[in-house]
Amino acid sequence: MSTAAASLTGTRPLLRVALRHEGRLLAPWVLVVTLLSASSVVVYPFVFPDLAARRALAGAVEANPALGLVFGPAFDLTTVDGFNAWRTLALGGFFVALGAVLSVTRTTRGQEDSGQAELLASGVMGRSARLLTGVAVALVGSLAAGVVAGVVTGLCGGAWEASLLLGATYTASGWMFAAVAAVTAQLGSDARTANALAVGTLGTLFLARGFCVSLDAPVWTVRANPLGWMLETRPASGDHWAPLLPAVAFTVVVVTVGFALQARRDVGQGAIAQRPGPARGRVRGPLLLALRLNRAPILTWAVAFHLLGLVFGYFTTSITDLVAGSTGVQQVLASGATTPEQLTGAVVRTLLSLVGIIAAVPGIQIVLRVRGEELEGRVEPLLAGALPRARYYASHVAVALTVVTGYLVGAGVVVGLMAARADLTVGLVDVVEQTLATVPAVWTVVAVAVAVVGARPVVSLAAWGALVASFLLTLLGPTLGLDDLVLGISPFWHVPDTTAPSPDRSGLGWLALVTAVLVAVGFVGFRRRDLAR
Amino acid sequence: MGGPVVDVRGLRKSFGRFRALDGLDLRVEAGHVHGFLGPNGAGKSTTIRVLLGLLRADGGTVRLLGGDPWRDVVALHRRLAYVPGDVSLWPGMTGGEAIDLLGALRGGLDERRRAEMVERFELDPTKRGRQYSTGNRQKVALVAALASDVELLVLDEPTSGLDPLMENVFQEVLAEARSRGTTVLLSSHALAEVETLADRISIVRDGRVVRSGTLADLRGQTRTTIHATLTRPLPVPAPAVLRDVHVDGARITAHVETPRIGEALAVLTVHGIRSLTVAPPSLESLFLRLYGDDGTPAR
Repeated sequence: MSTAAASLTGTRPLLRVALRHEGRLLAPWVLVVTLLSASSVVVYPFVFPDLAARRALAGAVEANPALGLVFGPAFDLTTVDGFNAWRTLALGGFFVALGAVLSVTRTTRGQEDSGQAELLASGVMGRSARLLTGVAVALVGSLAAGVVAGVVTGLCGGAWEASLLLGATYTASGWMFAAVAAVTAQLGSDARTANALAVGTLGTLFLARGFCVSLDAPVWTVRANPLGWMLETRPASGDHWAPLLPAVAFTVVVVTVGFALQARRDVGQGAIAQRPGPARGRVRGPLLLALRLNRAPILTWAVAFHLLGLVFGYFTTSITDLVAGSTGVQQVLASGATTPEQLTGAVVRTLLSLVGIIAAVPGIQIVLRVRGEELEGRVEPLLAGALPRARYYASHVAVALTVVTGYLVGAGVVVGLMAARADLTVGLVDVVEQTLATVPAVWTVVAVAVAVVGARPVVSLAAWGALVASFLLTLLGPTLGLDDLVLGISPFWHVPDTTAPSPDRSGLGWLALVTAVLVAVGFVGFRRRDLAR
Repeated sequence: MGGPVVDVRGLRKSFGRFRALDGLDLRVEAGHVHGFLGPNGAGKSTTIRVLLGLLRADGGTVRLLGGDPWRDVVALHRRLAYVPGDVSLWPGMTGGEAIDLLGALRGGLDERRRAEMVERFELDPTKRGRQYSTGNRQKVALVAALASDVELLVLDEPTSGLDPLMENVFQEVLAEARSRGTTVLLSSHALAEVETLADRISIVRDGRVVRSGTLADLRGQTRTTIHATLTRPLPVPAPAVLRDVHVDGARITAHVETPRIGEALAVLTVHGIRSLTVAPPSLESLFLRLYGDDGTPAR
């Protein structure tokens, strides 16, 4: 048997088990993208029945370039499929890619962390079998997501070619990032680091694509970005399949790099070796512990938000040009429905809500860490000391809320400074005021995590549900013409427009109240429930 | 302080439909090393976690150091130290940092004893959590617990990962703790460990304590084994004092109620003893008997 074949011995039985186990964990991602894609096809004809309504939507989308950061350009919003392509191409690909990254890391690095890998490696198994299995599962999962989403969308009334092409872009995004994760799993010394590297790459490329497209940057900036290739397929406004080929090539090349790296390292070790640490500790209390446990992500996110502030700030300074260059916007302005000041205000508000939603991610991570530590059995010895549960929990919650506030305000100040220098209708004070008004909404999202981890930790994933719901309702809800009652589920809907002549700040009171109730539920629950082992 | 350190009566605890503790009674006197024995899944750890206020009792009364373990968590935990059976350390923190953190949360460590314990257990405190082996993680938790001056040590299978040398150190250290007057609740399935250290023993099975007492009490309840080679065969049936007689030519094996050994030897002498071993009842035989009793597999 050749060495290459020998290094893959044992893949087949491993793959069978992994598919069964991972299938359950990948199914939600398939479901999410399928719902995302099929729902736009089903809902669109009802909400925008005629051409006039569709043109109005196109104008509204063009008037708020902040939407383009997330969704990319709207090529054609007058057809169902064009709308679906705009709404789901970027997001669907992002979700499938995220699912693929988490899956690859779980089946490779995660297994090494938990010791399963050693058990498996001692069996009749080639060196590369585990990595191949992990990658194969993610590839199959991405393929399933693309096919199911495409076919279901077609069955729901989408044009077949556009729907299937859209599904193919999901698959291609998933494949490329399964490959990226196969490399980062070799670089990071544990699953957390490997995930952070891969998801960081995904987030950066995603943001870069939105940024370059929205600002009409030179076309090579989009072509140089693997996620940009997905845009070039233009589902429903051209239907080009060719850009998927470089995506497949990218996958093959990067996976090969992953295997090459894997063949050179020891099981359980990363590229960076561990050094001895201090013999004595300075962490003597729960607050310092909470900071210490989250030190790496807190610093990483701080850098990320600084960059995010710069990107969004630069974006804000270009609003005037973007709006001036859009015929749709000019029509809206001419009709007297709104003023340039209001438009700029709306864009800034959307951008800051977006920063707020992103800021909630580290907040939720820090709160969920409490549950992770509990399941690892590391909370038990702490609480066996003279440490009240409430104080332990409060330390983590305080860190989470402080950190998200810091991130949001930091990014807001950067945006404000850049806006002030660009001589816009909004200045530093306006932006910072709007940022501060956004803070309670972020707290509410984090408070959902506090409530579930405290009272119903079995469903702690619901914390992410709250975040995704806020995100979709805030960014997509208004364009879908949803009822205020539904839109109000997102805490960001209650953020007042502080640039308005007499802003209605009552929403903030409600947010504070809901946040307080959720936090109280979390603390009472955490005090009363059994601690998991 | 006169009362027992641990006083548990009729403790019940269920997880869903699984009944983990079903009317468990446990009493640990001050200054005693109390062995808490049972097979995996018998309810030892669940009991300990109720005593630490990590789980909430469904029924029964639980008193720890004169207080309520669920309500008076902080006051009680200042007076006890705990070593979990399955020690999990923070991956990025060194062992030394973990010891100091756990000690600080208990209200401070005895510096001199901390240094002594690190030395005696041969622990390298500069390694990170994820670099330690199972035994070394256990040592970190042991050092953190033993370096503090507490009234009660709660140890949940503390030596399952230690090598024999370290197990020796552990026994010495525990004997020293006892001589200082520390009460110890030592859960284990390592019988030898409990046999040498424990003043009293409780054996738990299926969520209840099935036997409790001093080692001598428990030994009294069990039978001594006699192996003998005789010159003349025993009559059939054998005399009533000998139980479960097994004859293999001239060699016989039989069980005897421990108080009746003299009587049994008198019977055997009549038949001419060429060789004789009398094995004292080990905890192991008691253990095996209690678990094999009604044929249900131990969970």
